[in-house]
Amino acid sequence: MPEDYLRPRLEALRSYQNPDGGWGYFPGKRSWLEPTAYALLALYAEAETPAWQKGWRLLRSWQREDGAWQPNGHVPEAHWSTALAVTLHCVHGVHDAAFQNGVSWLLNLSGAESRLFVRLLSMVTASPTGHDPSFRGWPWRPDATAWIEPTAHTLVALKRAAPQVRDAELSRRIVLGEGMILRRRCSDGGWNYGSKAALGIDLPSYPETTALALLGLQGNREADLAPALRHAFHLWQDSRSRWSRAWLAISLRAFGTNVPAESPEQPVVRDLILNSLEVLAAPDGGFRHFRPEGAVS
Amino acid sequence: MAGGMASCQRSERTAFAGNSPVAVLKAKSYQQDLTATILEGIRLCGVAVKDKRVLLKPNLVEFDASTAINTDVAVVAAALEAFRSLGAASVTIAEGPGHRRDTLGIADEAGYWKGVRNFEEQFVDLNRDDVSPVKNFAGMSQFFLPNTALAADLIVSMPKMKTHHWAGATLSMKNFFGLVPGAVYGWPKNTLHYLGIDNSIVALNRQFRRTFAIVDGIVGMEGNGPIQGKAKDVGLLVFGEDLVAVDSTCCRIMGIDPAKIGYLQQAADLGAVDPRQIHQRGENPLSVRNDFALISEFAAVRLDSTGRNG
Repeated sequence: MPEDYLRPRLEALRSYQNPDGGWGYFPGKRSWLEPTAYALLALYAEAETPAWQKGWRLLRSWQREDGAWQPNGHVPEAHWSTALAVTLHCVHGVHDAAFQNGVSWLLNLSGAESRLFVRLLSMVTASPTGHDPSFRGWPWRPDATAWIEPTAHTLVALKRAAPQVRDAELSRRIVLGEGMILRRRCSDGGWNYGSKAALGIDLPSYPETTALALLGLQGNREADLAPALRHAFHLWQDSRSRWSRAWLAISLRAFGTNVPAESPEQPVVRDLILNSLEVLAAPDGGFRHFRPEGAVS
Repeated sequence: MAGGMASCQRSERTAFAGNSPVAVLKAKSYQQDLTATILEGIRLCGVAVKDKRVLLKPNLVEFDASTAINTDVAVVAAALEAFRSLGAASVTIAEGPGHRRDTLGIADEAGYWKGVRNFEEQFVDLNRDDVSPVKNFAGMSQFFLPNTALAADLIVSMPKMKTHHWAGATLSMKNFFGLVPGAVYGWPKNTLHYLGIDNSIVALNRQFRRTFAIVDGIVGMEGNGPIQGKAKDVGLLVFGEDLVAVDSTCCRIMGIDPAKIGYLQQAADLGAVDPRQIHQRGENPLSVRNDFALISEFAAVRLDSTGRNG
């Protein structure tokens, strides 16, 4: 099964690589960091090939002077996908100055709600979202609030980077980031984008963000994640969304849960991130790329 | 793609002329011939469609079978057919949901894959479209928007008629939040909140000026919208090129005073809030008024019983 399932997806990724070495979100579109990083992870077994190396060089070229990566060659702004670039550096075993600068940028970034002024304000006024700003997570971009997905990706990156980074701030931020995720858990047991309630009314969780939150919490020794993992498994069973199922499979496998393989009959999609995620979610795929190898909280 | 596309979108239509047709047509259910109703709405508003690249922008947020969050697929499918029959050069459905990354998954849950033939071929995920910069957006020197939207000759905003717990009402103007690319600004598109919800709504509507609206008011949402409210039968579709006038009309139908909705106050130079500047066609908004329940935070925006204060 794995070969029948993986081969067409890997072939699609190879065939849709852009001439500049990167991947767009969809075939024929400009290269962006996010689909490029996932494709490079999915194709990591081919890391020595010229095609993979071309993608790697393109991704490296998108780093800014401040250490952040930008989302593509045309949007010159610091971006959450720096976390994916750092994770890819860890997977590839490259811990050079570019990698260190990327980690430093992540360590200096936190949600705008964690600024001193906002934290002081939160002591005297009730937040409409109920967020506790003392637990610093990561935003999608600077000057915005921290949310689950960028926080989870950054935690994965920092945990992978930990053995190569001498900075006490790293351990502290992991603890705070995990605390942020745990405090934004929805009443149904999972996570959505990062608001568990609005105007005092509970909001539901989503399958894909539940998977990502759990990935970010790998190695956490304080929280009992067993109920959340059971919830995630039920979401995987019930979800029709291939995007959700792929992230849930990656996450559940990273925790050692046995998840049945998807049917090879499923057609290959035009969505190139989903293509990569389905490769990474396969039983012998690259879900291990998202496992921490270093520090845990 | 160059940023010039953006300036083309922004300057195409001249400033508000003070004479805006808005059509309110009855549509009792999603099972009736909605294509005919939509063609009538387009005709009443005098919109030129031939040879234009039309972008249909529904409102897809999340799916909950117990309520009515998203623009019903029957309205979108009927609009697709109507604009094609009028000779549009192309008709694309495009959306960029604010919370969920799996846009095609939400579209599937909302019935779009079943309700629109070859849906995936006709759909663009605006969250992950290629982008170009525009200048001077809501105080930001540079802002990125999707090329598919910037290149459209006509953007048809197709919202659900809903209350909104931060903005009061979410209609055709607020629906433009879905034009902002998540790949740059995230999920949720939090940058818009920091710029101010009302400011962002107006900035997007200042940017995209070649517009038309078809508001799905067949079943709307009242109370704690845009996600957790209750479905409300209204039985109407509302049409118009002037989105300010369309939203003001919808507010009056919903029993909301448009003059008290922040983004409509700020958009007075873009279109008509004052009913004397709106040429109502079809049903009289006051005769089909059907008050939506409002959360306590917005109790003060209720239109008085005569409708005169709106």
